[in-house]
Amino acid sequence: MRRGVGWNIVLGGVVLFFVLIITLPFWWVMSGSFKLPQEIIARVPTMIPQSFTLQHYVKLLSSSDYPTYMINSLVVASVSTLITLALSVPAAYAFFRLRFPGREALYRMILLAYAFPSIVVLIPLFGMFAKLGLVDTRTALVVINVSFALPFAIWMLRSFFGSVPMEIEEAAVMDGAPPLVILRRVMIPLIAPGIASVGIFAFIMSWTEYVFASVLILSDAKRTVPVGFSGIIGQYQIDWGLLLAGASLATLPVILLFALIGRWFVSGLTEGAVK
Amino acid sequence: MADIQLSALQKTFGPVEVIRSIDLKIKSGEFIVFVGPSGCGKSTLLRMIAGLENVTAGTVSIDGADVTRAEPSKRGIAMVFQTYALYPHMSVEENMAFGLEMAGMPKQQRLEAVRKAAETLQLVPYLDRKPKALSGGQRQRVAIGRAIVRDPKIFLFDEPLSNLDAELRVQMRLEIAKLHNELGATMIYVTHDQVEAMTLATRIVVLRDGRIEQYGTPDELYSDPDNMFVAGFIGSPKINLVPARVSGRSEQGALLLDVPELGLSGLAVMPRSPEADVPQDLILGIRPEHFHAGPGEHTVELKCSIIERLGGVSYVYTDPGRDNAVTMELRGATPVRAGDTVSASIDPGDCFLFTQDGVRL
Amino acid sequence: MRQSRFYAFVFVAPALLMLVAILGWPLLSAVLLSLQDVRSVGSEGSWVGLANYRKVLSNTAFWNASWLSIVWVVANAAVQTVLALAAALVLNQRFPGVRIARTWIILTWIVPTVVVVMIWRWLFSTSGGMINPLLIQIGIIDRPIGFFSSTWSAMATLVFINSWRWFPFIALMMLAGLTRIPSDLYEAARIDGAGTIKRFTRITWPLLAPTLGVLVIVGTLLSFNVFDIIWLLTSGGPAGGTRTLPILIYETAFKGYRLSEAATVAVLASVLLMAFAFFATRSLAKQGDER
Repeated sequence: MRRGVGWNIVLGGVVLFFVLIITLPFWWVMSGSFKLPQEIIARVPTMIPQSFTLQHYVKLLSSSDYPTYMINSLVVASVSTLITLALSVPAAYAFFRLRFPGREALYRMILLAYAFPSIVVLIPLFGMFAKLGLVDTRTALVVINVSFALPFAIWMLRSFFGSVPMEIEEAAVMDGAPPLVILRRVMIPLIAPGIASVGIFAFIMSWTEYVFASVLILSDAKRTVPVGFSGIIGQYQIDWGLLLAGASLATLPVILLFALIGRWFVSGLTEGAVK
Repeated sequence: MADIQLSALQKTFGPVEVIRSIDLKIKSGEFIVFVGPSGCGKSTLLRMIAGLENVTAGTVSIDGADVTRAEPSKRGIAMVFQTYALYPHMSVEENMAFGLEMAGMPKQQRLEAVRKAAETLQLVPYLDRKPKALSGGQRQRVAIGRAIVRDPKIFLFDEPLSNLDAELRVQMRLEIAKLHNELGATMIYVTHDQVEAMTLATRIVVLRDGRIEQYGTPDELYSDPDNMFVAGFIGSPKINLVPARVSGRSEQGALLLDVPELGLSGLAVMPRSPEADVPQDLILGIRPEHFHAGPGEHTVELKCSIIERLGGVSYVYTDPGRDNAVTMELRGATPVRAGDTVSASIDPGDCFLFTQDGVRL
Repeated sequence: MRQSRFYAFVFVAPALLMLVAILGWPLLSAVLLSLQDVRSVGSEGSWVGLANYRKVLSNTAFWNASWLSIVWVVANAAVQTVLALAAALVLNQRFPGVRIARTWIILTWIVPTVVVVMIWRWLFSTSGGMINPLLIQIGIIDRPIGFFSSTWSAMATLVFINSWRWFPFIALMMLAGLTRIPSDLYEAARIDGAGTIKRFTRITWPLLAPTLGVLVIVGTLLSFNVFDIIWLLTSGGPAGGTRTLPILIYETAFKGYRLSEAATVAVLASVLLMAFAFFATRSLAKQGDER
């Protein structure tokens, strides 16, 4: 579609707006984390750092449990992702390809899970986990993350399954493949992008989860990055440099992950998401 | 090779009756074609035989055994889909071997069986390729190969040639016919193309609205249709159907008819059952190819409105002032031009008589 | 076919069990909790029937929080929809770098909430931030604004931050809806002489409307539940000016040690949400039928 000059200018302007609004904050944070303290709080803010120092990072990594938090977050997020996939893929297959009574109703009920404030379940769950001795464990976090990711994961997988033609499945049925084999050998290879999308979604949701992690984890050794980080904020109220360095570090893993497989997630959302 | 029997087979989707109580017997080794307009239920019927659709009532038996509730893979059936339904992420070899793998055949045997089928279909150079690297015709052959390799008793084809271009369609049609000759297996073939039906079938099942209109050999359907629908469905261009009035009976029992649109009166046509009671207003059917150029015993003179010349044959469309123009097929290149009056003759033996409801007399 | 039913059950069961155990059961017990008078976690409580409900419903704090939640939800929906739609329309065009843009626009969503919080707290702060100095430098204001110091501006700032975080996610889903519109329609419209704006109002908007509807509903449900951003930036202040229902629930439970009362608020909030979801999806379906 050819555009007139006028529209090109509008388009360019809007693109610039979005680029700035999204990247500027991150740029400020990342570049600020390398600035000397004086420059950070200078009257006139500098777009391009005039100084360079690693002192904030050094202080962060040496005087706090940050590395521990990172490891905990990584473990929890990875395990949550795997379990979410293991549960949502077969469930989505059953909902969207197999026929069984009550399918529609059950699917709607699952989506209803998001109609409740998550705070609601916090209180009883804390009690339940306390009784099971699961308070202050990473297992509890995994369980929570998986549960909250499941409905959306199943919803996302829906159109991926829908894009596989029925006839291919029927051919597999004619070939004598039982449903488990069909899922494993035929469907999963064909919806690989969808699985990647759901995986990334689950990982990110788990990585950024704050509320439950702050309530359920009591000891430093098990703490995850979001909670640990907000603790540092609380501790060092005014040390902006330290906070900027912490923010940069907290962001790094997801940015790396996204650089590697972000494409799949976006194509998953854009191809799949709409009911 | 197996025979198939359908008894009182019925299928409803909610309130809609798609297949209404069908009885059908197919002998082993036959090539049966299900043909009919869109929505007549031919694909549904095929899929019920395959086991891909649930049966609402009635039974499907193969070689005497009731398979109505059996899993598709346990019926000894292989199916070729309209869109080929090849597994996109597997190679040709893996596609063809998949069914055997599911049946538990050891790897060496599988590969041998695949190789044999591939040789029959000239697919050997493509065994390592993925479907997207193949042409339409090649994919179709892989789909057929996948079916052959399982050595089934019955082959099912669901409009396999619809997605191919015209030239390829003719070629593949011949290959399928050859396949039937070589394997001798029972084959059921669904199509909406009556040319495919007429050329491939040993017997044809004409379906409409979930019912069998007629079941017979191509020749039977052509020269002895049971009703107006079948007469109109088989044969291209479509049969001419014009109103006729009974003016009397001959001594042999033939009906004497006045056919105003053809300008004929006293045309004697013998009904199939001469003794039966006959309403006064009937419909006469005569195929375009049964007009012979030039005057004869029963001459028809009509004004040509449009003429289509195909080289070896010409179609003359006349316009008697009604909805359907009468079509005449004339052999060879003819000097007739639009606007000319054409003179042709017909043989009453080529005529069919139907009631207004379409029942054949 | 018989087989598939059994497998369907097996496939669905684990996910269902998990959801029932972790979401279903707690919901039920929250309702039960609301009918007791439990104070802190683990302590016993006696049954008090609807006393909690009477107490909560007559408490102005509850109605304030409900009002603030509604304001919060509506403001977020408005801002996010506008931003997301603009972004989606832009991403649907062809220009150099659009692929990269599509992948990375969601940067603000993949970053942990606490980081978002920290970034904007720093940027908006009156000592050492970037926004105030920038605005002063450009000349828009001559004194630093306390973005978090008055209730109105605190709410507005929070809405901005939350929208900044979520709009790319919504934008991508809108993009999905946009790409579904066949380009033939646009081409036919061009031949018919429709300009860019006409094409938007007569083709894009009507065909996107159902998608938008769904996204507004989903977005509303999601933003209603936002807790961390508000809590970490304002703790519900200043003076309770941003104390939405989730904040109220948290405070009542963990700061006020009135667990049952908190559960009551939670149940009431859920009812509100469910009613909204029910009526919203119904009216959406009705609109779909009319079309």
